[in-house]
Amino acid sequence: MSDIYGLVRGPLAVVAILVFVVGIIYQARQFFSLTRERPVVLPPASVLGKVGQSSGPSLNAINNSILGVHPYLTVITSIVHACLVLVPIFLLAHNVLLYESLGFNLFAFPEPVSDAFTLIVILGGVFFFLRRILVRRVRVITTFYDYFILLIVVAPFLTGYLATHQWFDYQTMLIVHILAGEVMLVAIPFTKLKHGLLFFLYRYLMHYEHSLGSGTRVWSYSKLAK
Amino acid sequence: MIIAERKPLDEIKDMVRGYKRVLNVGCGGCTSICLAGGQKEVNTLNADLKKALGAEDVHLEIDGFVIERQCNYDFFEALDEKAGNYDAILSMACGVGVQFVAERYPETPVFPALNTVFCGADRDIGWFEESCRTCGECVLAETGGICPVTRCAKGLFNGPCGGTRLDGTCEVDKDTPCAWYEIYKRLKAQGRLENILKIKPPRQWENQTRRSLVQEDYKQRYIG
Amino acid sequence: MPDQEKKPVDTAAIASMLKKKEPEMKRVLNYCLRCSICAESCFLYMAHDGDPQYMPSYKVINSLGKLYKKKGNVDREFLEGIKGLVWRNCVLCHRCYCPIGIDIPRMIDFTRSICRSEGVYPEQDGGESWL
Repeated sequence: MSDIYGLVRGPLAVVAILVFVVGIIYQARQFFSLTRERPVVLPPASVLGKVGQSSGPSLNAINNSILGVHPYLTVITSIVHACLVLVPIFLLAHNVLLYESLGFNLFAFPEPVSDAFTLIVILGGVFFFLRRILVRRVRVITTFYDYFILLIVVAPFLTGYLATHQWFDYQTMLIVHILAGEVMLVAIPFTKLKHGLLFFLYRYLMHYEHSLGSGTRVWSYSKLAK
Repeated sequence: MIIAERKPLDEIKDMVRGYKRVLNVGCGGCTSICLAGGQKEVNTLNADLKKALGAEDVHLEIDGFVIERQCNYDFFEALDEKAGNYDAILSMACGVGVQFVAERYPETPVFPALNTVFCGADRDIGWFEESCRTCGECVLAETGGICPVTRCAKGLFNGPCGGTRLDGTCEVDKDTPCAWYEIYKRLKAQGRLENILKIKPPRQWENQTRRSLVQEDYKQRYIG
Repeated sequence: MPDQEKKPVDTAAIASMLKKKEPEMKRVLNYCLRCSICAESCFLYMAHDGDPQYMPSYKVINSLGKLYKKKGNVDREFLEGIKGLVWRNCVLCHRCYCPIGIDIPRMIDFTRSICRSEGVYPEQDGGESWL
């Protein structure tokens, strides 16, 4: 048993973290090599002032935003995603491990906070699972893969929670937890989970909102006339 | 939507005569819908041109291609790859599309295969009717939803003039209803006749110069 | 292009069109989280009482997604089958909103061009109105 623990905690963890980091860098590099900046063409200054006895900005802008259209979903998904990213980084136990391995550690949440955040992620998983099953428009575009991805994400949190509270055999649960975490790390750069990265990268392609750069990158195989 | 019609074949023939390889580019937007410049019309025109020029012993190599909009460069990607292989381009878009294509490929002669005729509505299959002159100063609120700029022969903002016949038609053409008589009837039926008495100041005639517009919400993007 | 309707589909040509855009397309199809948030941004979806067939992601997944999965190995019936999704169900107004930034109309446009290359496009003067 302790052999397995040693393996998942030692070499496997190193491999998983390396794959994660290298994978992320690889994906980002791929993105930038497959896209290129397109120059922005600005309208003549006169246009910006001239036309339009305009109505001014809409008073109901928020109604048309995702927050306005899906208030609950927006709030839930934002909180769940925040917890999902924060908990693993600022968990006390993880920071103890970090200190033991590398001699430094980050700030850590108090245990009850981590506990609550973990539960939020697990409940979020349940929420997204039910949503996939119950909401027709989500169901019609859901594939087995989407459930699988959900499982990969929730597993480390669920097993971590169970291990912390020692509900089943602690040693086994801990090993399963570490494995699940490693699977997730490895999966992030190479599955849909890379949306954590691409969410930001794709803003280089979007000129209409929350752009990065001027949002004018285009896929580089597009042969543009000058 | 923008309504267009194909130019006479002889006119198109004269444009492309003398070019060896021509690409006829259709548009998937308005001119497809008004049945003037979609994929089907591209095929038809190409066949017609080959036949007509063939009869004069002129060999024309003409290919057809359609992009979804010729008025938006986002749709030009596939055309960009092809355009360079041709001596001339024939566009079956409206005037907007033709100019956009010509601007995109400044070294290639670009010819219009259509005449752009008006902004209009679909009355029935293949039947379109002009309903807006895009004057930029809409008065439909006061005219019972009938556009005097488009429908009145004189484009009068305040009417009717003295040329309305007794039967309610226009002095210019006995088949054309007087727009202002139509407006009168509609407003009367709605009990809003007082609208016709309002004097509307002269138009700014802004459409005499080229117009350009940035929507309010997007101005920030261009001011930077 | 005439008489293409009767010819068998040139699957190699479709495959090469797909190949050219593969880096982008593969990413988009794999990137879509199937969250359905794009639905309400489509006026056609709203106008059809929330019929999922008008949901932007649905249209891409079931047209280009399938084409890509089959690597272009499709028959005319397939192309005729997706024609409604990419023409009747989408007017390419570019108003759809993807929270993670997928350019949906670009994919629809690409699907249309694949259909067009095989002579599959709406017959506007046929029985069905497409707009």
